[in-house]
Amino acid sequence: MNNVIVDSKIHKNTSVIRGHGSEFGENVHFVPVIADELRQLMLEYPCCLLKNNQTGQFGLHALLGFEPGENLFLNDKGWSSQYIPLHIRRQPFMVGYTSMEDAPNAKNTVLTIDMDNKRVVNTDTDIDTDTDMQQHAAHLLFDGNGQPTEYLKQMNKMVFDLAQGIVRTEQFVAVLVEHDLIESIQLGVSIKQRLQRGMNESDRQIEKINFDGLYVINEQKLAALSGDLLNQLHQNGYLQACYLIAGSMGQIQKMIAMRNEG
Amino acid sequence: MTSDIEKNPITDLKYEKNISKIVILGGGTAGWITAGTLAAKLNKQHDKNYSVTLIESANVPPIGVGEGTWPTMRRTLKNMGIRETDFIKQCYVSFKQGAKFSKWVTGTNDDYYYHPLMLPEGEVADTTAHWISLSFPYQPSQQVKNNATPSFSMCVSPQEAICEAGLAPKFITTAEYDAVANYAYHLDAGAFSTFLQKHCTEQLRVNHVLDDVIGIHNDNYGDIHSLTTTNNGDVCGDLFIDCSGFKSLLIGEHYQVPFKCCKDVLFVDNAIAVQVPYENVQSPIASHTISTAQSAGWIWDIGLTHRRGVGHVYSSQYITEQQAIKELKTYLTDSVENVDELQFRKIPINPGHREKFWHKNCVAIGLSAGFLEPLEASALLLVEISANMIAQQLPANRGSMDIVARRFNETFLYRWNRIIDFLKLHYMLNQRNDSQFWIDNRNPDSIPDSLKRLLELWRYQAPSDDDFVHATEVFPAASYQYILYGMGFKTEPSHLGYSAASLQRGKQISNGVYEQQKHLTRSLPSQRELINLINQYGLQKI
Repeated sequence: MNNVIVDSKIHKNTSVIRGHGSEFGENVHFVPVIADELRQLMLEYPCCLLKNNQTGQFGLHALLGFEPGENLFLNDKGWSSQYIPLHIRRQPFMVGYTSMEDAPNAKNTVLTIDMDNKRVVNTDTDIDTDTDMQQHAAHLLFDGNGQPTEYLKQMNKMVFDLAQGIVRTEQFVAVLVEHDLIESIQLGVSIKQRLQRGMNESDRQIEKINFDGLYVINEQKLAALSGDLLNQLHQNGYLQACYLIAGSMGQIQKMIAMRNEG
Repeated sequence: MTSDIEKNPITDLKYEKNISKIVILGGGTAGWITAGTLAAKLNKQHDKNYSVTLIESANVPPIGVGEGTWPTMRRTLKNMGIRETDFIKQCYVSFKQGAKFSKWVTGTNDDYYYHPLMLPEGEVADTTAHWISLSFPYQPSQQVKNNATPSFSMCVSPQEAICEAGLAPKFITTAEYDAVANYAYHLDAGAFSTFLQKHCTEQLRVNHVLDDVIGIHNDNYGDIHSLTTTNNGDVCGDLFIDCSGFKSLLIGEHYQVPFKCCKDVLFVDNAIAVQVPYENVQSPIASHTISTAQSAGWIWDIGLTHRRGVGHVYSSQYITEQQAIKELKTYLTDSVENVDELQFRKIPINPGHREKFWHKNCVAIGLSAGFLEPLEASALLLVEISANMIAQQLPANRGSMDIVARRFNETFLYRWNRIIDFLKLHYMLNQRNDSQFWIDNRNPDSIPDSLKRLLELWRYQAPSDDDFVHATEVFPAASYQYILYGMGFKTEPSHLGYSAASLQRGKQISNGVYEQQKHLTRSLPSQRELINLINQYGLQKI
């Protein structure tokens, strides 16, 4: 990672390749998401809580595959799903904080770009002609006058919204933890072996895989809530978010089917 | 006939008296663990009309030596509703995965063996068959290592490798009280008492009376009726629990229940304790208790998060206090710059226990019940299992109390004797001839008959849980295996031979253990790293 602040002088000739694929590191089996996305996500992805390996803290995630490197929603043509999580779409941009004292706002945040990201190219050296530009669907950050392009404005807004959404999601997860509304589940699925080169469809064995480390909403406890707490969760939108997460887990069945077809 | 019925104690009013007020005397770790265990159980199961009161003298300083626990402490704390994260942060806790015994066999520098807390993998019959066939003919432990035949503990559990690498028994993602590798704790006893006191009084509704007891009053039947305090008057109770430490105010001083000394079996009678600073705040923390044998005893070395607790337990029959301090200083020279600036504190030990622990309506828990050298961290374990038994079997009335008391006494006499046997096992198997202390420890006259019988049995078969009659054993058979085979004890290969299938299973288990060792030593964080992460983020409840 090599994040630098986006600057019209430095990034005069910088552009970002759009498109999707494993070449951009999108072949991951889960991705962090924000609660604001749940309404769209739950129609396509199982959403659950996973612990961060470095901190042990819970984070909200969408599952994309059953093993590292497997994104069942990604094929040669891009994502097969209607909705692509913000965390994927915001690449290669990120919010940089100039001060961590407040929640992210216009004053304490800057837009940064990861210059090591495979999407980032220099128009002068890496790409010679307009045809190449079109072929790669690359977008310049700044126009000839050094003004941000529509693309950059869009990305800026997306990244900023995401940063605020991350804070709201952390608050939401903290409330779930505080009131013991999370439970761990053991997910056991029977799926076909991955199709490998030289392997016939009939060779694929059914594997029983157990997943540890998945956490979901404890629906019993959620249903048993009452009084002030229930009211408070409802007013914050947390209650709805809980049910969206709970409902999303059914998408696991679809993922099993995707895996077995693919 | 009529007279018999009249004598029946059930008709006596005293025996119909309900047990609802529990008074605990003493506010050390024993007192607070007992209070917390009882209160948590009562709060969970009962509605009202009971009370747990703890009287603590403001003028008696706690012993406050850093202590090790058994894995049972996890359940004890969890049952009290304590968050493991809070406990770890506030009591300077580190994870303990077992004990490393150095120089206990031959006394040479490369002589050591482990007693890890993980049970051996697989069926005992298979693993021991495999190991016995591997290591036959027998060699002393360190030679086994040189010849690349793994030690027993390396063969059956990944934990020795984890400890040698200074790693934690779990990840930051592992839930509170859950383990990847079985663990207990090292804790600061003073901080632990304060922590428990806060939890018991704020969360579990334990009444706390900070006052000195100046009088003990019996009723007409010889039961304790009340304790008179300086400022709070008489504190009445139905059951009195003596957690007053070495003073043993109720069971000893008041009731004069005789003390059974076991110095003829376990020779050490003194301890010199010292608190040792780390070089810096990020110094590594050992993942196990280190017990290093000396000329007439041994040195414990316990790594807490903010300092080490070290102490020399020795027998005054063999060396003087000056010699004991000198050996302790020599031990510390490697890791401490100015050994002479440290504060050394002498604690006399009278090894042994009361002849009974429950007398009338009074039961002793902790040092008042007895004390043994901290070789296998049995002190807090006994407190936990005593408190637990009282909580589980709390008599409803005075009439049924004698039945529970009798059962309690039988159970704990058995347990104390098993602990004494188990501690003696560590001594009697030594091969040292460099001091009379170690030679005398092999003298058959100093070995209890019960232990002699077991050893005779174990010459021909590996220790198994069936060797012990009680369902509530203090130490599992695995602990005996770790000590026996760690010290080079010989169990003869079966005269019936071992089936290929059994040896194959044993080998598979051993290979599995090796894979686990590789995987865990690569992935587990260091003890210090995990403690830092817990301080920063905390562990999750699930």
